[in-house]
Amino acid sequence: MMIELKNLTKIYELNTNDKVIALKDISLSINEGEIVVLKGSSGSGKSTILSLIAALSKPTSGEVIVDAKQISKLPDSFASVYRRDNIGFVFQKYNLLTNLSVEDNILLPLIPLNPSQLEVDAKIDEVMKKFEIIHKKDTLVRNLSGGEQQRVAIARANVNDPKIIIADEPTANLDEKLSLNFIEILRELKSLNKTIIIATHDPLFFGLDFIDREIQIDNGKIA
Amino acid sequence: MSSKINIYLIKYAINSILRQKYKTFFIVTIFTFLVFLLTSIFFITNSIRYELDSTVDALPQIIVQKIKAGRHYDIDVDKVDEILELSGVSDAVARVWGYYYFENAGVNFSVVGIDKYENQYKNSLQSIVNKFDFEESSDEPFMVVGQGVKEVMNSSYFKEYFNFIKPDGTLKKVNIRGVFDSDTQLESNDMIVMSNETIREIFDIDETKATDIVVKVANPQEVSMVASKIKLMLPDSRIITTQDLKISYQNIFDYKSGVFLALFIVSLFTFFIIIYDKSSGLSSEEKREIGILKAIGWRVDDVLKEKFYESFIISFFSYMLGSTLTFAYVYIFQAPVLREIFVGYSQLKTTFELPFIFDLQTLFLVFFISVPVYVAATIIPSWKVATLEADEVIR
Repeated sequence: MMIELKNLTKIYELNTNDKVIALKDISLSINEGEIVVLKGSSGSGKSTILSLIAALSKPTSGEVIVDAKQISKLPDSFASVYRRDNIGFVFQKYNLLTNLSVEDNILLPLIPLNPSQLEVDAKIDEVMKKFEIIHKKDTLVRNLSGGEQQRVAIARANVNDPKIIIADEPTANLDEKLSLNFIEILRELKSLNKTIIIATHDPLFFGLDFIDREIQIDNGKIA
Repeated sequence: MSSKINIYLIKYAINSILRQKYKTFFIVTIFTFLVFLLTSIFFITNSIRYELDSTVDALPQIIVQKIKAGRHYDIDVDKVDEILELSGVSDAVARVWGYYYFENAGVNFSVVGIDKYENQYKNSLQSIVNKFDFEESSDEPFMVVGQGVKEVMNSSYFKEYFNFIKPDGTLKKVNIRGVFDSDTQLESNDMIVMSNETIREIFDIDETKATDIVVKVANPQEVSMVASKIKLMLPDSRIITTQDLKISYQNIFDYKSGVFLALFIVSLFTFFIIIYDKSSGLSSEEKREIGILKAIGWRVDDVLKEKFYESFIISFFSYMLGSTLTFAYVYIFQAPVLREIFVGYSQLKTTFELPFIFDLQTLFLVFFISVPVYVAATIIPSWKVATLEADEVIR
């Protein structure tokens, strides 16, 4: 799935007199099956790029084109469907519902599809096994460790079998061992021909053999 | 998306309700209490209105009283014959009655005289005459009393008889022969029934006089015309028709329902404060949850459907619980506390039962002013958050 960013600018208006320019005229192409690391310091604009690709927000100007479809101007309900069908997002703070069980959290993206019980059981079991969290199936997420929570977040991001995986600072809350585990998961996902975009400033991601490109972002621009 | 009911969405809504158990418990408690209060108010007023209407319907069609200097005086008994001669009048009975103040308890009894050989103007009195053989009263005068009277007399150790103090200061001993059923009618609770002869002696009323005359009209449509004829014939009298009594009773009822109206307004006010509080914004946790759901692919209408199920389950459950409690409270337990506001024409509390009336209209009314309002108050703020950019909500 080809992703194209054309002359993207994103300005956050905090109030009438206070504006933050997050992205300045960025253009970028990501090929299908490619794994790209966006690196840069905090506030450089990496997360904003991910948010625009996932249609979680709209650019102030410019275009986001995914598979030849302009998604930056999609109405809200179409943007949701686009995310549901194409995007698996692993957030920095995981964004799990901590008072739900592991299984219920992973089920969330499937609920609007109103699938059959068999389909649900098969999909959830598959991702829970794949990301080694099935033994915690009925545990409340708030009772899991950071690494386990991240596995739940990855399982949830993959339950719809999306073509694009987006991860925002995925190892920010993990120790080195768990971070290396996550990198191994990414390697597996890459082998499944998924397009993966990671925003991070963690040096563990730099220079890895399976990473296709590293792109430096500074002050809202590609360096 | 499939058009069949999304069981997962309903499960999620139930799960969400259970997850927030303290908040849910609080809302259900308040909601149930308000529904309970509102429906109780309606049910009690409906039952009492029904009981009052039945009571008024049993009252005489026309009452004739003698008026002198603007005050009620005893009327000549021979006026009965004059009234009976008027066309349209089917019956006329001279009544002897009055109020007896029982100082020990600080209450008034309504004392009514009856004559075994006369037609009674009221069915309840006729049944008392039939049940308690007034013919047996030879030497020992006796009376039949309402449940409330019996209780008051018992508490003052008058279990077998009662000593009435006559206007000249002497005592008149009257035996208690029996007690009316407590569920006969609203007015019977403070009533004492005795023979005309005894009551005349207690109140010192001459045999040629009566307290008033009640008139029965053959055709109910002609009541006002007959009343006018009596007024023409007896210009010094006051004529009271059932319609006048109905208005008077209604005034008492309306006054008392004013208290209920105040309660009703307070309940509604409380309810709308809760609704306002709810609709004025969601907690940061609720906003975050909606943001997450949007971010993982839920559409605005998926979020709103879930919120609809959630709020409908809570409000409908509370409504059903409140209504069920009301049925039990009003019709099984007879509305303790609330009914005290209404009952008691005289100083004695009546012990009548609230008649069961299945008032579908009230149930619908309370449903429509509670459940949809609550559902809307939940959905509107959720819609406001759900239509924001997901990134803005979870950031």
